Amino acid sequence: MAGVMVYVAIAVFLAGTAYKIYHWIRAPRSSVRLGMFPRPENSFGRGLKLIKDSIVFPQVLDNDRIMWFFVIMLHIVGLGTFIGHMRMLGEFAPLYNWLGKDGMDTLSYIGGGSAGLILLVAVLYLLFRRFKAPYRDISVPEDYLLLLLILLIIMLGDHLRFFAHFDVTDYQAYMKSLITFNPAFPAAIAESGARWVLASHVFTASLLAIYFPFSKLVHFIGSFAANLVRSD
Amino acid sequence: MTEEIKPDLEIDLKGLLCPLPMVRVSQNISKIPVGGVLKAVATDPGSLADIPSWARTTGNEVLRVDKGDKLYTFYVKRVK
Amino acid sequence: MAEKTINRELANVINVRLNRQLLYYIDICTRCGLCKDACHQYVATGDVTYLPAYRAELIRRVYKKYFTRTGRFMPSLIEGREPDDRLLDELYRTTYACTGCRRCMYYCPFSIDTTWLLGVAKAMLLEAGRGSPILTELAGAAVMKGENIDLFKDVILESLKDTEKEVQQITGDASAQIPVEKTGAQAMYVALAGTHTILPVAVIFHHARLDWTLSLFEAANYGYFLGDNKLAKTIADRIVDEAKRLQVTQIILSECGHAYRVMKFLYEAWAKEKLPFEVKGIVEVMHELVESGKIKLKKDSIAEAVTYHDPCQVGRNAGFYEEPRSLVKAVSRDYREMTPNREKNWCCGGGGGVVAEPAMDEFRLKTGMKKVEQIRATGARIVVSPCENCRLQLDGLNEKYNLNIKISSLMDLVADNLVAQK
Repeated sequence: MAGVMVYVAIAVFLAGTAYKIYHWIRAPRSSVRLGMFPRPENSFGRGLKLIKDSIVFPQVLDNDRIMWFFVIMLHIVGLGTFIGHMRMLGEFAPLYNWLGKDGMDTLSYIGGGSAGLILLVAVLYLLFRRFKAPYRDISVPEDYLLLLLILLIIMLGDHLRFFAHFDVTDYQAYMKSLITFNPAFPAAIAESGARWVLASHVFTASLLAIYFPFSKLVHFIGSFAANLVRSD
Repeated sequence: MTEEIKPDLEIDLKGLLCPLPMVRVSQNISKIPVGGVLKAVATDPGSLADIPSWARTTGNEVLRVDKGDKLYTFYVKRVK
Repeated sequence: MAEKTINRELANVINVRLNRQLLYYIDICTRCGLCKDACHQYVATGDVTYLPAYRAELIRRVYKKYFTRTGRFMPSLIEGREPDDRLLDELYRTTYACTGCRRCMYYCPFSIDTTWLLGVAKAMLLEAGRGSPILTELAGAAVMKGENIDLFKDVILESLKDTEKEVQQITGDASAQIPVEKTGAQAMYVALAGTHTILPVAVIFHHARLDWTLSLFEAANYGYFLGDNKLAKTIADRIVDEAKRLQVTQIILSECGHAYRVMKFLYEAWAKEKLPFEVKGIVEVMHELVESGKIKLKKDSIAEAVTYHDPCQVGRNAGFYEEPRSLVKAVSRDYREMTPNREKNWCCGGGGGVVAEPAMDEFRLKTGMKKVEQIRATGARIVVSPCENCRLQLDGLNEKYNLNIKISSLMDLVADNLVAQK
């Protein structure tokens, strides 16, 4: 079940995101230059500013340091976690050759484990922040729903990390089954009680991927475009 | 010899800068009855064009403008 | 007409004005609320309806309800709203309150331009027949003046004669003039209604021996504040047509923030044509005149502490930070900087046409709190600011909060401190 969901999720995510971008590009550019000053002299400067604004969030740092810390944590660690999951597709050879299987497992446990905890704290911060005025007054159900969904994904992931004790080879086998369009849990997972945790983790993550292009999460792409307007 | 116009309300716009003379006239004209006259004394020469323009666009009537030494007195009749 | 149809038509106002940037602004706001600390109106009142994201959200919710899948299928998820009376009332109050300073855009991690969304809100209000009455009257008067300029020309010229005499007294040159309708002049200066914006510039230009002519019209554009781009263009057309007729090579706008924004950044987009002359602000022109040595300033002639207020439309929205500062610093012995300044400067609270709305006087002066704190912290006795709107507001703040300061335009500061020419 969770297998089919993954395909649907990937398809909807890709098609939805592509449509969103098409929807943006189809609209005419504003005939007024909306940028503010000071603005960079050339396109190289604009590019640098774009990267800085979209990745370091200097305006947030200037405005609310605590928020900046958690937001940076959420985005950077979130990205790191996504990259970390890639190990399930196959080992990253240079690192694997250097550290060996045990070394990789330790790295993954420490890295993945701390990432899971940091994400948990960051999302909880964002969630509790929403219950406070004035943030409460500008929040809509979508905001809570997304945070709760992400929180659930993180909690399930943390459960797998700290309590399930599946080996990376089991995950790799599952991933392979997905890629070969023959989704199935390998024996080690299927026979474990924690299989429902993994299934739920995959399911909720798929839900997020499906909702992604239709939600405010498109800021993941749109913020780069919008921040380019800053120096237009 | 110009005849004396008896205003229903007098306002002092001395020292006020654009757009405030127009704003004050607009604000105060509603305080007098239709057919009544508002007398406004301004120091901003910009009002010489502004207040008559405002009157035309709002359908009111400037009855007379007296020009003294850097002092402009408007008599505006509320038409509607 | 059924209410539903009216609402749909109003919502459609957003749809027809959509462009790429606006779509980003609608789609990507995460409602993080970081703009709360950027807005002087929210900070001073603590009223969430003035929080930039809240104001913009009113437009977003209408758009999403009518034009997005989420909004059509699950409007409660994004709290989709109809443009009913309640929404329009709220929109009127918060939209016409915005001073257009764009400080929230600076502090937004995605640089969402809330004023641009509020521009759409104004279009919706106008469609519903709910434009600001006073701004409508002021814009109407400007159009009326443009259409009937021949009626007013004589009184304008007559009052200029008095101003010309003052220029002659100040410069000590009986031949000093305020040229009007001079074909082929290099520059046309567009003042504001009121001698105080003409006299100092006439003195400066006389010193610089600039070949100029004075526009019969004022730079201010209440059509822009009203949010009616067509009307705003008609008002700006008066100046453009005059400049074309006189074949000037540049127009110089007085110290009026939004007038510069309209001419420099908006007019060509509205008119879909390239202007055959250069658009400059008096701030940059005075700076150039000093740099090129055409006028000389009396160094350090002001002993009292002086500070400079960056008008949003001169700084953040036009890029003149150092030019005005260099002029102020040149003549002041004790120059003090406000904190924060430049692109982070607090709006004084007087922009966007709010100074023209008597009903908003109390609100306006209350929302100037941040500016009051800033000025107090400098301990300055003179505050210089090259924007008429800012100065009207600063005057109000000075009186209400007993700041005991003198508010000066940059033009006056320069004109009063010119070194006489040999």
